[in-house]
Amino acid sequence: MSVASPLSPLPGRHYHVDQILDRPGPRTDPAFVPGETPKTFLREQSKILVIGAGGLGCEILANLALSGFNDIHVIDMDTIDISNLNRQFLFRPKDVGKPKAIVAAEFIMRRVPGVKVTPYFGKIQDKDEDYYLQFNIIICGLDSVEARRWINATLVNMVDPENGESMKPLIDGGTEGFKGQARLILPTITSCYECSLDMLNKPTAFPICTIANTPRLPEHCIEWASVLEWPRVHGDKKMDTDDPEHIGWLYKIASARAKEFNIEGVTWALTQGVVKNIIPAIASTNAIIAASCCSEALKIVTTCAPYINNYMMFIGTESVYTYTFEHEKRPECPVCGGETIDISVGKEWTVERLIEVLVERQDIQIKKPSLSTSTKQLYLQAPKQLEQATRPNLGKLLSELVEEGDQITVTASSLPFNLSLRVTYV
Amino acid sequence: MSQTESQDIETATTSLQTTSVAPDNKTRRYDRQLRLWASSGQAALESSKILVISGSGTSASVLKNLVLPGIGHFTILDPHKVTEADIGSNFFLETESVGKYKAEEEVRLLKELNDGVEGVANTSDLATILKNDPTYLTSFTLLIAHNLHPELLEQLSSLLRSDPFHPPLIVVRSAGFLAEFFIQFHEHTIIDSHSETPPSLRIDKPFPALLDHALSLDLSKLDPTDHGHIPYIVILVKAAHEWKASHDGRVPKTTEERKEFKKYLQSLRVKADEENFEEAEAQAYRVWAVTNVPSEISSLFNDPILANLTPTSPPFFHLLAALKTYTEKEPHTLPLSATLPDIKSDTTNYIHLQNLYKRRAEEEKEEFTKILVANPVQPQTPIDKGLIDEFVRNSHGLKVLRGEKWRAVDQDSARLKEASQSYPSHTAIHLAFSAMAALELKGVQVDHTTPAEDLKSEAAKIYGPFEEIEEEIDNAIAELLRAPNADLPTTAAFLGGLVAQEAIKIITKQYVPVKGYCVIDLISSTTSVIGA
Repeated sequence: MSVASPLSPLPGRHYHVDQILDRPGPRTDPAFVPGETPKTFLREQSKILVIGAGGLGCEILANLALSGFNDIHVIDMDTIDISNLNRQFLFRPKDVGKPKAIVAAEFIMRRVPGVKVTPYFGKIQDKDEDYYLQFNIIICGLDSVEARRWINATLVNMVDPENGESMKPLIDGGTEGFKGQARLILPTITSCYECSLDMLNKPTAFPICTIANTPRLPEHCIEWASVLEWPRVHGDKKMDTDDPEHIGWLYKIASARAKEFNIEGVTWALTQGVVKNIIPAIASTNAIIAASCCSEALKIVTTCAPYINNYMMFIGTESVYTYTFEHEKRPECPVCGGETIDISVGKEWTVERLIEVLVERQDIQIKKPSLSTSTKQLYLQAPKQLEQATRPNLGKLLSELVEEGDQITVTASSLPFNLSLRVTYV
Repeated sequence: MSQTESQDIETATTSLQTTSVAPDNKTRRYDRQLRLWASSGQAALESSKILVISGSGTSASVLKNLVLPGIGHFTILDPHKVTEADIGSNFFLETESVGKYKAEEEVRLLKELNDGVEGVANTSDLATILKNDPTYLTSFTLLIAHNLHPELLEQLSSLLRSDPFHPPLIVVRSAGFLAEFFIQFHEHTIIDSHSETPPSLRIDKPFPALLDHALSLDLSKLDPTDHGHIPYIVILVKAAHEWKASHDGRVPKTTEERKEFKKYLQSLRVKADEENFEEAEAQAYRVWAVTNVPSEISSLFNDPILANLTPTSPPFFHLLAALKTYTEKEPHTLPLSATLPDIKSDTTNYIHLQNLYKRRAEEEKEEFTKILVANPVQPQTPIDKGLIDEFVRNSHGLKVLRGEKWRAVDQDSARLKEASQSYPSHTAIHLAFSAMAALELKGVQVDHTTPAEDLKSEAAKIYGPFEEIEEEIDNAIAELLRAPNADLPTTAAFLGGLVAQEAIKIITKQYVPVKGYCVIDLISSTTSVIGA
């Protein structure tokens, strides 16, 4: 039994975890040295970062603390909402409005002896490479594709082949209703988040002409209220989807439009669901996915068992179904593959058309891209002067600006990487 | 909001209107789950009473995921006091809990998660309750037992199996990275399974109003805008009718004919890029895919309860009997669904079509109801309209599951052999757990010094000669013996999620629960269901 140390009060509490660290299993790597080595590393030396203190984050923090990770950092930019309380179990009604990262960190430290949780209430983009370099592992429990792409690209860019320590394993979890997935990304070694972008469900987008002219579904009426009527009536005033008055207004406008067109089914809940793009979420699914993420973290840090290679999908709607497989790298992945993407462009395409296509493409999904070649700027989103200067290009034919076989570099402020396109005219 | 004089009538009424529909705090709190199981599922959860046997880390993880969504009541049954080891695997115990009753401490900390849930600690032991007060156990909606001694488990499972009205039991076992659970239930009927297969639009068997509507249109006389707004359903119904008229009443059968039919659809376009015609072509298979009663539903008609229907049979089977009669009549389909998918169209055409479907669905429901009340055997209390409506609406996803007793699979080596063909390593893990239970029944306290051979010989008694799964058996036993008594926090959390999810499915009677053993291996990060 381990001796008491300031980092590990109540040594007897490690009884359960110690059983898998004191003895190897049949599938454990023969290089594993059981006993004090993995315990000391886990409890006294390892440093782990949790991104997101929401549905998955709360679960991840509790699992890590119980597993023996004693130096945990957590980042979250959100504050607590009442609708979080059905699953984010570190928060109570009195915490509504407070920062998630701070409340979660305090709770974990109160509950689990010896653990230090350092919260950061803010964005992951606020932190630089030096910050991310201090951790052994990073676990993500995010609901934003954008944030995941950012951290993924940052960690891939950080890899220095000369320095093994610069490769930070990234464990990513995600859930939706009764379904979820957990995966391990070893930047530059395994497939990365960007490699699997085309696995995401395409977000439901309603064409503006349907919304404006031929509504059929209650959702079309709600989109009409939020996309067209709100800016028309309220001008520059920003719509706050958390403000019940704003939702109430949208609901009223959408209901009136639905009535006009004999469309049934506009409700408050649907209005809120459509404008906030609400994804159903329950504690149990989050528990499954978070547990899977933390189980992998424990295996990686202690080497007491092989880790996942590299993706697990879970579906709980009909019986229990999981599928564990190796997701493969995409050679043309703009983040970890680096190969130029060949793109066929119609001779009649304008620069604007190309931008629309890039935004639409499931494997690229780049919002507000800026385009340039080695010799000229095709279109830049910012700064304002350059945007104005390049705006006339939007209407020009691409074939007049770029020669066949030339490379176009695509950048976007939200993504820390460049995309390289090689144009073929058809 | 108080009403001031400066408010005019319109603002006053609008703001009133807004507050009357804006969700209350409870709805806001449960919003993300109500989008899955709706208020009917929530009501079922809120009236449930759950007993969890043992206050382990796994038990607390399960309960956390049930208290948060708002079950009505839970009791933790555990006579033990909290040790330091307990603190390390259970988030719902704290340093100060050491030395106090585990059940009491856990209930206190779990109740913090949700004011609306009642929690009770029971510090007596199961053996005494089984002997003196079995009705206490059967008064719950659902029982969950984690790492319970097999002797008590056998008694408990027999008790709950002895009467079809006794509650289901979820048996959970875990050791280190390995785990399994099994749901013992009698009969589980599901109306709303949330089936992902959409109901048939019956394009191949159009109801009269749909056919009349389709035939009343003269596509060639429409202006190009209207032409591009005719829903594909209407296009297909019309085209199929015309095709049949010129092909002896037959739908396109051969690949050649189907190609020809699609060509015909193309010829109807007035512009190259009409999206409604693109949809029609993509959905053309609906013309020749015959709408029948899906086999998963017609197989339910052979259910033994239907043959022996009595007034006390559950309402589900009275409804099923009516459905059987309904499908025996023309057009030999399930009642029509009123929901249309979104399709390319303008508002007028779409809403018109939707109304045709709605009206017809309503008529067919009336027809169904007539059959129901004419059933030769009538239920004790009449079935209410809401249930009829729900049943008809979800008739393409109905399920009847028949459970069996815990360990029944282990008494049938043929089924285990079958499972091992598809899931060798998970079957081996299951056998390792069963072997451990067998040793425990002999009074052995299994720990990491227990000889692997002892477990292996118990496993062989259950399975027979291992043959091609011997290596898996050795691996499973070695991994089990590495940490036979470890309630690993991550495994506990994983199980906590899975078991709670199954409990929710059982209680709400929505979605489809596991039948058989769900076996979990967190080394390979895989699960399988064996012996279903």
